[in-house]
Order: sequence, then C-alpha cells, then structure tokens
Amino acid sequence: MGIGYVVGVLGGAILAHAAYATIQYRAVLKITEEEFSRPPMDVMMELLLGLVLCMWAGLAVPTKFLSVLPHSDENRIVSLPANLDFMIFNHRGRALPSDSDLKLHT
Amino acid sequence: MAAAGGVSTDDVPILQAENLTSNVKSVYYSRTFLSIIGGVVAGIWGFTGLMGFVFYFLIMMVASIGLLAKSKFSVQAYFDSWTRISIEGVFGGLMSFVLFWTFAYDIVHIF
Repeated sequence: MGIGYVVGVLGGAILAHAAYATIQYRAVLKITEEEFSRPPMDVMMELLLGLVLCMWAGLAVPTKFLSVLPHSDENRIVSLPANLDFMIFNHRGRALPSDSDLKLHT
Repeated sequence: MAAAGGVSTDDVPILQAENLTSNVKSVYYSRTFLSIIGGVVAGIWGFTGLMGFVFYFLIMMVASIGLLAKSKFSVQAYFDSWTRISIEGVFGGLMSFVLFWTFAYDIVHIF
C-alpha cells in the first residue's frame, strides 16, 4: 500500500514539473512571438511518464478485489463464534441450496 | 417443505454482497482518480475541443484493461457482469475530467 502512494506522489510531482516547464515554454514563445502547437518532446515524455505512474497508483492504491463466489477459499468459514448460545440452526437458510463444501472441515 | 428439496434452476446466483460492493467502490475510486489525472495531463498538453474527449476515452480504455489485469482476467470471480468492470463509471468521471482539463489549461496556457 505504501509503495502505491509513493508512486502516485512521484507521478504528481512529475506532472507538476511538466506544467512548470510548459509555462516556461509558453513564456519563451511569447518572447519570440510564435504560435503554440505542442509542448516540447521532453515535456511530452514527462507527461506520459507521470500519467503512467499515476495510472499504476490509481489501480494499486484502492483495495484489492475480493471474491464474490461463496465457494471460494476467501469466503470459507474458518472458526465458530465464541458464544455458542447464540447459534441458531432452525432458520430460513434451509431454503437456500445446501452445499457440503461450505461446511466446516475439521 | 418443497424448497428443501432439489435446487431450482431459476435461482439467481448467490454472491457475497459486501465483497461485490467493495469491488465496485474500488473500481469507482480508480476511475475517478484517473479522470482527474487525465484532465490534468490533457490541460498541460494543450488539448482543445474534440481531441480532449478522445484522450479521455483512451485513458478510460487503458484503465479498463488495467482493472481487468487487477482482477486477473477472471471477471466472474469478482463481479456479477462484464459491464461492471469495463463500462460502468466511464461517463461518471467525464465531468471531473472536463473540470480539471479546463483548470489545468487555464493555469498553464492562459494565466
């Protein structure tokens, strides 16, 4: 999780530096009275690098995907609750299709 | 009782609702963040008019591929449909994109 934040902050810093370089480039164009068509090549490379880093951070920083299948290993019941007095076995869950894989394996 | 017998064929699939909500929220966060970053990049680059929107959908397509890779290309294990990971949320971030696009363009090219 920490490495994703660092990569995101680094990408943001690279984008900020590219913005500053573009501002300087626009100032030079104003002096030489030329038209702006495209940032210089190194600024474009900086923008793409910052975009790639932020894209990686944007995908890595949010929580990992959790399985939605009830039979997968992530959703297995691995322990019983501590207070057995509140366990109820006679409820409407019997209407759901039963599967022996969901039962606790000793 | 009748329901305790065999499995009916018209049952909806049983999914973990909490995990599905968490996954959809994660996709939404990623798309919103990439909309903002894409807007900043488009503004600094100097895109105007239709080129900016082309850039936005290009970024969203790359983000969809990245989200597919994040789910290890097995969508059925983490979502209830393909559109959850590939299409949903694309147009929701368009307003954030335009906001940061015009903001970055003004800072770099006009002010």
